[in-house]
Amino acid sequence: MPIKNRFAELLPEIAAWRQDIHAHPELGFELERTAALVAEKLKEFGCDEVVPGIGGTGVVGVIRGKTDSRGHVIGLRGDMDALPILEESGAAYTSENQGVMHACGHDGHTAMLLGAARYLAETRNFDGTVVLLFQPAEELGSGAKAMVDDGVMDRFGVKEVYGMHNMPGLPLGQFAIRPGPVMAATDEFFIVVTGHGGHAAHPEEAIDPTVIGSQIIQALQTIVSRNADPIAQGVVSVTSVDTSSHAYNVIPQQITLRGTVRTHSATMQDTIERRLGEIARGMAASFGAEAEVTYLRHVPITINADEPTAFAREIAESVSGGCAEAPLIMGGEDFSYMLQERPGAFIFVGNGDSAALHHPEYNFNDEAIPAGCSWFSDLVERRMPAA
Amino acid sequence: MPIRNRISEFHDEIAGWRRDIHAHPEILYDTHRTSAFVADKLKEFGCDEVVTGIGRTGVVGVIKGRSSASGRAIGLRADMDALPMTEATGLPHASTIPGAMHACGHDGHTAMLLGAAKYLAETRNFDGDAVVIFQPAEEGGRGGQAMCEDGMMDRFGIDEVYAIHNDPSRPAGMLAIRPGPILASADTFRITLKGRGGHAAKPNETVDTTVMLSQMILALQSIVSRNVDPILQAVLSVTSVETSSKAFNVIPDGAELRGTVRTHSAAVREQIEQRLKEVVTGIAASFGGTAEIDYDHGVPVTVNAAEQTVFAEEAAIAVAGECSGIDLVMGGEDFSFMLEERPGAMIRLGNGPSASLHHPEYDFNDDIIPTGSSWFVEMVERRMPAA
Repeated sequence: MPIKNRFAELLPEIAAWRQDIHAHPELGFELERTAALVAEKLKEFGCDEVVPGIGGTGVVGVIRGKTDSRGHVIGLRGDMDALPILEESGAAYTSENQGVMHACGHDGHTAMLLGAARYLAETRNFDGTVVLLFQPAEELGSGAKAMVDDGVMDRFGVKEVYGMHNMPGLPLGQFAIRPGPVMAATDEFFIVVTGHGGHAAHPEEAIDPTVIGSQIIQALQTIVSRNADPIAQGVVSVTSVDTSSHAYNVIPQQITLRGTVRTHSATMQDTIERRLGEIARGMAASFGAEAEVTYLRHVPITINADEPTAFAREIAESVSGGCAEAPLIMGGEDFSYMLQERPGAFIFVGNGDSAALHHPEYNFNDEAIPAGCSWFSDLVERRMPAA
Repeated sequence: MPIRNRISEFHDEIAGWRRDIHAHPEILYDTHRTSAFVADKLKEFGCDEVVTGIGRTGVVGVIKGRSSASGRAIGLRADMDALPMTEATGLPHASTIPGAMHACGHDGHTAMLLGAAKYLAETRNFDGDAVVIFQPAEEGGRGGQAMCEDGMMDRFGIDEVYAIHNDPSRPAGMLAIRPGPILASADTFRITLKGRGGHAAKPNETVDTTVMLSQMILALQSIVSRNVDPILQAVLSVTSVETSSKAFNVIPDGAELRGTVRTHSAAVREQIEQRLKEVVTGIAASFGGTAEIDYDHGVPVTVNAAEQTVFAEEAAIAVAGECSGIDLVMGGEDFSFMLEERPGAMIRLGNGPSASLHHPEYDFNDDIIPTGSSWFVEMVERRMPAA
């Protein structure tokens, strides 16, 4: 079953929705226009329920199949938010909201899921229920969690969840997926080292935080090279360094290091968090200073469940004639919160030869729409086949 | 010859000038009121020449002795500028200018030199010229250098230069000196590092600035411990570190380090500058980054000439009955620019128990005025005795 003919017919219309959303990007939870547009379309398609305001500005649509003999419910998720980037794509429908841009293709994700919804509401050729999850604030890493915390899974009886993300560099309309960990946990840390400030001409009376901060940055490099299992993946990046004063002649009182940790396994995450604290505190103590370590776990590891992944791969193969093995990615994705709640899978759809995600010249390729819509609707029809 | 009786007679008048200057502090080169005050007094005393506008707002007065058979001229220097601080002394003559304060006793230095000028203009009991030098911008503005660059030394035929700085760590009126280096050279540097920024989850695609800068800060420590002669003194402090971005998930493109170098010898100063450039450039290159170094030569080492120090000590003993030694200090003093041009010496004068220099509760002790003014007079009369 390749791309559905119906989506070839609907392509101009779906592309028009996508371009309209693209021209009016909104950030985080501030999705007034986008969420309203989504809700309005879902009602127009004849969804059985349309519930806005879930997890702030998330929108949920429910489409019941012709029958419901097994009580199965599949959640399909799209993300709606844009990025604080000044667009340079040169598209005719370029952002009208200066400094805000759909540079991650969430406009495309939303449009594809709307296209699938239109088809599913039209045909209802399945036995069970589809729950469409349009989430805010993916880029903040908190939108999916907000919807989960609002009880979206229980309230709509969702049994499994699927999400899709476009991937520049993957041939247009082709798919890629992998079972197990696919994207990283993204943690943040702050290390505040308090030494003893003083006159820069009298280091002997001071405890110099710049030397201690430097020792800590160096020693942190050994976590990945010496403490971590070499087969596993981990990244520790110190991304910001700032002394408490910026004068030439004053040894500062404090230095603040900030950074991120990316891992694909809970063991690795635990090891890095523990070693990071030990190194920062131990190194500071060795100089007679103190280090205060704040370690924040943000989006968890995105883990594709085995069986839903195999199923998702079969669907992808039938839509596009093949499915690549997705690479492990060190970036994070907040769909992981939904996958923590329910089994499911996250698949990539090729955006062809385009600028990278989050690049000011990026643009979602509308030619990927039929493949994406077909995958969502085939998944529903084959996971919950009509009697 | 102890404290001059004549100077004691107008002690109150000098203290009055000191308090007037104290109440009207001016910063760096903006010593307009103070310079005008000084020039008026010098004219009133009957100086033979009063020249303003040397080194922007510096003032020079020339007092010719009874004879000029020696053809010599002795320069006596005081500084006039205040600090950008809020005074907390609560005194009746406290600063009337918010955010400006005479917290280093330059008000006292100026008043003592005015007192000496008054006496010398009255008595003229010497053979040659006494050149009284009032400089602006001692506190980090290179006012001493500005006056030298204006050709002051040649224009007034100055052969030797002398100055006093008060010292809160010594008993009131106690004079103290040592030959050779007494105060440090104080240079500043700014290092602009360029790596290659990128996503914090993809360190392999970047040249990580924070790793590079921490290696650099640590390697810079080895200059004092490994390159400088252990008998000599030097300090290299990195006092400020700031990455070009402060985000958690972005490896910054660049960083800026700032700091200061203090030494007591021109050779060590040169050695550290050279090693700093080698270490920074080498480490940046070893990581595939680049470093731009902006090394700013501040005040040079303050060096008391051997012979002139002996005379200064003898004059001190004549005035105060004794003269003690001093320790090397890592602070800088811009009288060093004048001492680079002409031999001479700077002597310390005890301020008695008081708050430390640059402290908001510091005040110059008017009781020490007769000692300071007498020492200036003594230097002139001893170095150019009347026939």
